[in-house]
Amino acid sequence: MPGKTPDKEPVENGGYRGGKDIEMTDKDLKPKGKKSVKEGDDEMTVVVPPSKASKQSSAPPPNDADGDVAMDDSSKAEDGEVKVDPVVQTINDIKSNFALLDRAVALFDARFSLRALRSISSIRKRLTPDILTQVIGETIPSSSPSSHVAKQLLLAVGRPDVPVGRQPGPEMEIDSEPKSSAKNGVKKESKEVIPEIDIFLGILTQVFLLDTKQFQLGFEFSRYLSERVQSLNRRTLDSLSAKVYFYYSLFSEQIAPLPPSPQSPIVSIRPTLLSALRTAVLRKDIDTQSSVIVLLLRSYLLTSHIAQADLLVSHTQFPENAANNQVARFLYYLGRTRAIQLRYTEAHEHLTAATRKAPSSACALGFSQTATKLLLVVELLMGDIPDRATFRQPNMEAALHPYFLLVQAVRVGNLEDFETTIIDHADTFRRDGTYSLILRLRQNVIKTGIRMMSLSYSRISLRDICIRLHLGSEESAEYIVAKAIRDGVIEATLDRERGFMKSKEIGDVYATREPGEAFHDRIRACLALHDESVKAMRFPMNQHRLELKNAQEAREREREMAKEIQEGDLDEDDLGGDFEGM
Amino acid sequence: MAERQLTQVLTQLKSQGSTLSYADAASLLSKAKLLLLQLNALTPTSTTNPTLLFLARETYEQGALASIRAKNPEAFTRYVSQLSGYYELPSSVLDPNVAERNKVTGLYLLLLLTQARYAEFHSELEALTTREGAGGSVDIETDPYLGYPICLERWLMEGSYDRVWKAMKKGEVPCEEYSVFSEILTSQIRSEIASSSERAYPSLPLSSTKSLLFLDSEGAVVEFARSRNWTIKDGHIIFPSTSSAAAGAAAASAGEVEGGDEQAQEFSKMIINNALGYARELETIV
Repeated sequence: MPGKTPDKEPVENGGYRGGKDIEMTDKDLKPKGKKSVKEGDDEMTVVVPPSKASKQSSAPPPNDADGDVAMDDSSKAEDGEVKVDPVVQTINDIKSNFALLDRAVALFDARFSLRALRSISSIRKRLTPDILTQVIGETIPSSSPSSHVAKQLLLAVGRPDVPVGRQPGPEMEIDSEPKSSAKNGVKKESKEVIPEIDIFLGILTQVFLLDTKQFQLGFEFSRYLSERVQSLNRRTLDSLSAKVYFYYSLFSEQIAPLPPSPQSPIVSIRPTLLSALRTAVLRKDIDTQSSVIVLLLRSYLLTSHIAQADLLVSHTQFPENAANNQVARFLYYLGRTRAIQLRYTEAHEHLTAATRKAPSSACALGFSQTATKLLLVVELLMGDIPDRATFRQPNMEAALHPYFLLVQAVRVGNLEDFETTIIDHADTFRRDGTYSLILRLRQNVIKTGIRMMSLSYSRISLRDICIRLHLGSEESAEYIVAKAIRDGVIEATLDRERGFMKSKEIGDVYATREPGEAFHDRIRACLALHDESVKAMRFPMNQHRLELKNAQEAREREREMAKEIQEGDLDEDDLGGDFEGM
Repeated sequence: MAERQLTQVLTQLKSQGSTLSYADAASLLSKAKLLLLQLNALTPTSTTNPTLLFLARETYEQGALASIRAKNPEAFTRYVSQLSGYYELPSSVLDPNVAERNKVTGLYLLLLLTQARYAEFHSELEALTTREGAGGSVDIETDPYLGYPICLERWLMEGSYDRVWKAMKKGEVPCEEYSVFSEILTSQIRSEIASSSERAYPSLPLSSTKSLLFLDSEGAVVEFARSRNWTIKDGHIIFPSTSSAAAGAAAASAGEVEGGDEQAQEFSKMIINNALGYARELETIV
């Protein structure tokens, strides 16, 4: 993986793909550790199984049959130029998506729009202002109400002077609308461009602006786009509008003052997002609902408004059948909130689920890394020692190295190592947003240290404990050990007069019910997995109707046969029961 | 006009803040708040005049400190939440008074700590790291006002009660308002120590219990022991939990078959339940 991934994405996400710790490469770009989450998130949205790209190119032929405007255009463009030209190829790819969107509207099936959205990742690398301008110009006729949108789009791309509704031929100025509309009306058979297509173009523009780091422009454009999305009430827009909000909030995070400051634009877009959430819930728009909840959570956590994040979670219901990626993100943010609130068991549960739900491909490496880091810290806080294998995964090894050192220190209970690790890697931990959590680990280190000592010695003086663990004084050591005994960390007694700790015999773990419980937990997890996979299965639409039809035919045949048999003077009684049974 | 009045009230509050009785302070404060209302500056808005913002913040800060002195946590919490809006304003609009701000925040953290609201304590702490002008958690820990509750929390968590005790003594607290919490914290750590001693020691001499629990005299120890149902014999405290546990152990060894049986039965019941559950699930799958 590490070898080939880094150069796949040219900008923004580029450095984040490799096996190395993703932040190490260009940390100066990123103000805070949490950023990496975003990278992960961002990546996740564009997860594309390799086969999809090829599917995309095979998509056009069937669409040609639809004979819609977009296809006409692209075929014209193809005629005009050499076919292998990458620019033309990209334009065609973009346009092939219009057909998908058309079909999504016609068949009212969100899967087609999702497919169109997925192709963005393959297109985004090839986007240039020229391509966008050309596509926009060719697709949107200036006569339609969307011509206003087109103007905005062109403005965002930086070509406000290019006319809308361009056809190869005499150039039309935007001002002379009546004329050009008349012309286009004739040429294009005046077919209305569906709003899905111009929103899709808007998303492409957003992606382009993000990749070229034009954040301010992108922010303003996104605001316009989100307003437009809100003004439209079309169910087929749902998955598209989710994306619009997603990029909107990404832009807002990049504009100074950067997130931790309460003046950051992410605070100012919260009302927009909240109202979008309200609308989405009312319309049962799962895509927007899930992604807006995630965005809001992220925004709250960026400014450390933990209480607000907690309130949001308790007052909203995350849609059950949301997209897997959104669920993973939601679980991550939830786990993070819970970890800060010291609810480690819940945090652990959510984070485990998040890491498992994260796409296993390299695209979302940033996300898995960040989630794994947090999970490791939470596991340590719960008193568990993470699995050694976690650190051996090739694409995680370098990124997790500081955490590996930390785990080592905690495992051995060496307070000195622990402190040096924290000091050495304080920057990394701060950037990952785990620093304050790690500081809480100190008590765990002490506890583990005491446990190790209680296991190895049947009797040890408090002075020795104090020296080994580098505690301030013998008195502190006494209190700490007493607390450890009360908390059930060790089985021991203290002798005040002679100043030592005496360990009790430890029983056999296998004689207790613990193994049985662990076994039960695992089986339950497997069963839950089975249930989930059954639920996740998808059956083709209308398949049952086909079966019904077959059944109908069979019955017909049966009837005919019965008739024939009847005519053939057979015993009627024999057939009667059978016939009824059908 | 109102503004000048407000400034007067504030100077009065500040100059004799610590000597003022709570009733007097409260009347002054309500007067100040009324004036703020007249000036339409009760909550920060984008159009509010910076000097007014400054005055409003001062008022709330004084109010917070006064309510702490009066040991009124509800009023204090109210003032803190009113202040949070001002603390979020950018430094360009309202020049932050870092010392006062940290003092109030530190007190709030301490309050959360004494009320054992650890989740909120940590949420607040997380917010501090990103606060403008705070500049990372290094500064927070070295700040006398903020570092104090943070250290206390850490020591409480790991169990170094002697350090907590030392930190609460006079002269160690960053300012007088902090000592209000000492009393609560003392009783809190005393009960913590008591509960861990119960488990950790089989018995303790009275003299060492005195130093262990930070009590003043042996008489106080006896009293404390009585309140926790400890028995005192020959100058030693015998902890009931260990003796009852010992008794329980003796009883268990005597009637081991009986007790063991009961437990085993319960355990096997659980296993049977689980196994039946698996069988049912398997059936639905196959």
